[in-house]
Amino acid sequence: MENYTKYKLKSNDELVSLLAGKDNLFIVACNKCFKEFESVDEPECGELEKLAAEQGKTITGSAKVDFLCNKIQTEKKLKDLLPEGTENVLVAACGLGIQTVADLAGMPVFAASNSLNYRGYHGMALTKKGCDACAQCYLNVTGGICPIVDCSKSLVNGQCGGAKNGKCEVDGNKDCAWEKIYRRLEKQGRLEEFLNQPVQMRDYSKVNFKAVNDYVKSVRETRLDGYYGGVHPSERKEYTEHIALERFPDPEVVVIPLSMHAGAPANPVVQVGDTVKVGQKIGEAAAFISSPIHSSVSGTVIAIENHGHATRGECLSVVIKSDGKNTLDESVKPHKDLDSLTPDEIVEIVREAGIVGMGGAGFPTAVKLKPAKPVDTILLNGCECEPLLTADHRVLLEFADDVIFGLKAILKAVGAEKGVIVIEDNKPDAIALLEEKTAECSNIEVVVAKTKYPQGAEKMLIKRVTGRKVPSGGLPADVGCVVSNISTTKAIADAIKTGMPLVERVVTVTGERLKKPGNYIVKIGTNTKDLIDYCGGTIGDDITIKAGGPMMGFVLSDTNVPIMKGSNGIIAVDTDHTVEQPCIKCGRCADVCPMELSPLYYAKYADEENWQGMKDKNVMDCIECRCCEYICSSKIPLVSKIKTGKGVVRGMK
Amino acid sequence: MLITQLKAKETIVSLVDGKKAFIINCQGCKEVHFPEKEAAELEKELAANGQVTGVITTDYICNPDNMKLRLQKHMDEIEAADVVLVLSCGIGVQTVAEYLEEKKVCAACDTFPLPGFQGVTPLEYKCDQCGECYLNLTGGICPITACSKSLVNGQCGGSKNGKCEVDGEMECGWERIYRRLAQLGRLDALKCPTQIRNFATDEEVSK
Amino acid sequence: MKITEAFERGEFVVTAEVGPPKGFHIEHMLEEAKTYLSGVTAVNVTDNQSSVMRLGSLATCKALKDEGLTPIFQLTCRDRNRIALQSDLLSAAMFGIENLLLLTGDHTKLGDHPQAKPVFDLDSVSLIHTVKQLESGVDLGGNELVGEPPKFAKGAVVSPCSDSVDVQLAKMERKVAAGCDYFQTQAVYEPEKFIQFMEKAKQFGKPVQLGIVIPKSVGMCRYMNANVAGIHIPEEMIDELKADKEKTKAGITGVEIAARIIRECKPYCQGVHIMALGWESKVPELLKQAGI
Repeated sequence: MENYTKYKLKSNDELVSLLAGKDNLFIVACNKCFKEFESVDEPECGELEKLAAEQGKTITGSAKVDFLCNKIQTEKKLKDLLPEGTENVLVAACGLGIQTVADLAGMPVFAASNSLNYRGYHGMALTKKGCDACAQCYLNVTGGICPIVDCSKSLVNGQCGGAKNGKCEVDGNKDCAWEKIYRRLEKQGRLEEFLNQPVQMRDYSKVNFKAVNDYVKSVRETRLDGYYGGVHPSERKEYTEHIALERFPDPEVVVIPLSMHAGAPANPVVQVGDTVKVGQKIGEAAAFISSPIHSSVSGTVIAIENHGHATRGECLSVVIKSDGKNTLDESVKPHKDLDSLTPDEIVEIVREAGIVGMGGAGFPTAVKLKPAKPVDTILLNGCECEPLLTADHRVLLEFADDVIFGLKAILKAVGAEKGVIVIEDNKPDAIALLEEKTAECSNIEVVVAKTKYPQGAEKMLIKRVTGRKVPSGGLPADVGCVVSNISTTKAIADAIKTGMPLVERVVTVTGERLKKPGNYIVKIGTNTKDLIDYCGGTIGDDITIKAGGPMMGFVLSDTNVPIMKGSNGIIAVDTDHTVEQPCIKCGRCADVCPMELSPLYYAKYADEENWQGMKDKNVMDCIECRCCEYICSSKIPLVSKIKTGKGVVRGMK
Repeated sequence: MLITQLKAKETIVSLVDGKKAFIINCQGCKEVHFPEKEAAELEKELAANGQVTGVITTDYICNPDNMKLRLQKHMDEIEAADVVLVLSCGIGVQTVAEYLEEKKVCAACDTFPLPGFQGVTPLEYKCDQCGECYLNLTGGICPITACSKSLVNGQCGGSKNGKCEVDGEMECGWERIYRRLAQLGRLDALKCPTQIRNFATDEEVSK
Repeated sequence: MKITEAFERGEFVVTAEVGPPKGFHIEHMLEEAKTYLSGVTAVNVTDNQSSVMRLGSLATCKALKDEGLTPIFQLTCRDRNRIALQSDLLSAAMFGIENLLLLTGDHTKLGDHPQAKPVFDLDSVSLIHTVKQLESGVDLGGNELVGEPPKFAKGAVVSPCSDSVDVQLAKMERKVAAGCDYFQTQAVYEPEKFIQFMEKAKQFGKPVQLGIVIPKSVGMCRYMNANVAGIHIPEEMIDELKADKEKTKAGITGVEIAARIIRECKPYCQGVHIMALGWESKVPELLKQAGI
């Protein structure tokens, strides 16, 4: 079979007469969708160029584009593409692509192709014509065989007189749908049910295009709200969002990894047998991008050894047996009040307290507070866009004053004019509270953002709130912003007010497979398994446990790993029983990628080990938010393929 | 791409008919409408009556291989049910019905067409895949989808104040086409021969 | 008789319109038509007007013809595909019905069966083309007809007072190109607009009949202004109807207005088409006042 989907070039005769009297052509061809993703370029562009040249036409240029119907991306691609002197644009695409170009080109645009009639094919794309979307599903009276699609006449009350040997009168190769329906109902003992049903009459007014159009418009608006792409996975925050914080009982032993941050692991400054106190430094920052580590209990160091780690496999860790007394280290004492502290002093306190980004990435906060470029806006990320997690939400509710104090400290440290606390609209209680508490602060504002994942990603948050776009490969400071996580900000407040370094954090333990979900204040180094056991354990077997949320979390094959500075959640969810299938080029990944990339190419290139191709498609811009993998209809593990590619590309430099 | 809407509650209740049901929710194409709240409510009600043997919420059940992998874990619950209630588009229901051939598999939703499943979706553009693109005659505005009657030879007499006779909020497609052609200096396109539609274009695809 | 013959003779052609009832008893309708419309050149029979199901146009045409009147068979694309349309055209020819008015038809959603499947397999332009094709002895599928092909006077409609008259003129041009012989217009209440329209329409060289609907009441005018495409009744005209309620109720004011419009437009067009909408009895008086 010819390799085409969606559209086919018009006949040569028609194209020749179409070109008559038109010259200076620019040719655009859409790389087809909903097909096996084998070739990158479809042949139509070349065929058209050849035909136009034969007709003695001047071709000013040509372009092959993926998903021409994606207006936003097409607009970017078409910009400056049409050369001077172009008078007509010839498009080979389905009707959607042609209309998109016709709207954008500002000059006559002509269709060189006919859209193929694929009505009825949807779902997993071009597998089988199955549903005509008639808006009045008849499958219940037909044993699950569609009479609208499978019967040539779309009869809804039974077989016509045209069937011969069980075949359709229109197509002798096609089984009579009503014969199939009858046999299936017979098999299920449902013939009487069929015979007794009332006369079926189709209602053609049911397809309400107005409602459909309104829906499409609203979905489009949501998709593009604030920034391009993103998804809205089912939130499932109701398990824990109303549960107040509870202090997790002190563990007998803590295992504190020396690497819980981006950059170099800390160097241990204690030895086996040493006695340590709460807040005592046990590991020292090993480089500029690194962080010190502190003890979360008082007791004795019983081992410094490799231990299981949620994200790194194994990591050198300090194992401390608690004496149960929680004796404070002498170094833990309040600093001067905020007004008396200089910006440098604040940064130093943050550095010494071992504070790192607690949203997961673990970038040392002190480094962030010394931006290389002038910063005018500090954004507090209160979005917590990951489904299931409610740790930041609870911190906002129960430690609002600390969060605001921390923000003030950051503002002072960085010398920024404005602080913005961004909260998603699914947390109205937190919004109301923070609005009330910041009413008097002229330089602090609460911004409510419509819930959309990955809103909490720095670049998305900045785009949403300020409209500024962080350049490819750039940092927030490049556009005058610093973004800080809620728990991190609260940790800064603690470090200044009490002198306590980062030794504990709030963790949401939840998921549909966890008996007793909750939000806990947990000491760093607490064993994850103990935490799960404390929550009543899990329900049933075949469960997946993740550190973090369902989108960006890490699968824990072994729960014998410690809670770390970046552990915002532990979740127990159903295992996903799917396997990777070939890409059908449905384009959904390109539609949801907030970085406006084309993830489908990463899957293809990773399999081909075409690392240069990955680099050319800007794989390094990927923020690994997993939107593409979430939406992928073929269940391709895109993020792991991307991570592999990034690793190789990084080495290429 | 589609929109699924829950059938009337009475209809669904009568499908279960006081017996036991296994429920499959397909939140398939994700951004495409799935009546999440209504479905949850209904399922809660049925469960309260002890009528539910199991519920799974999944995606892309139209993909037969992955659908099977997911259902296999629940075969006991499916066995115990008299009816399998599928909340999905028509494709999903049929995929399940074919797999569970001996079982009464019912559709709890109606499926509405959503234009533009060709690629990125949903879209602001519409294409009815008529198989004989008219965009060259219309300045790039599709008369099949932009006109309520899918007229291909010009405006009917029903437009009032530039709006369609069927929907007063919808712009008359042919008025839009005329303006676009005028703007492009291409009104001569209207002097083309009389257009007659060919409704047999799906043959090519079914081959 | 073909209505085109009357145009060719240079007559100012008057036609009127009847709507078949919802039911098959048409004695009353026939009686009214004979009494009041015998003076007109031909009588249009609507085809399930406004998408409201009624007695068929073709059968009613035959009944009118049997009573000695000249019917114009209105045919819309709403309810029939190209097979049924061509078949009905041949049936009309067999009955000796020679005049056609070919329309797209209102959408099904506007009528009393909104659940119905709207057909629109053809539209008004392609329907004219189809008739032309049949007249050449070949059907739309390219198959030859048996015996002498039918011959019709092919009419179509246009809205001169439409808010988008340029778009209407473009469609009119396509209808002419497809083979339309004459036009009847949507009801006109603004003679100036009609005259301007005719200035542009005369290039097509096809006879145009001015459309007239007698304004019955203020309420009817308001309704048409709000809901009926291509119609706008000026406020002064509505004020005229308001002035003397009794006179309006008796139909005197409406007939006066309609007659005035005809008188003003007559020099610019080739006939008048009266849609009496139940006021068939007023037609003779209207024609008298209009000086026809």
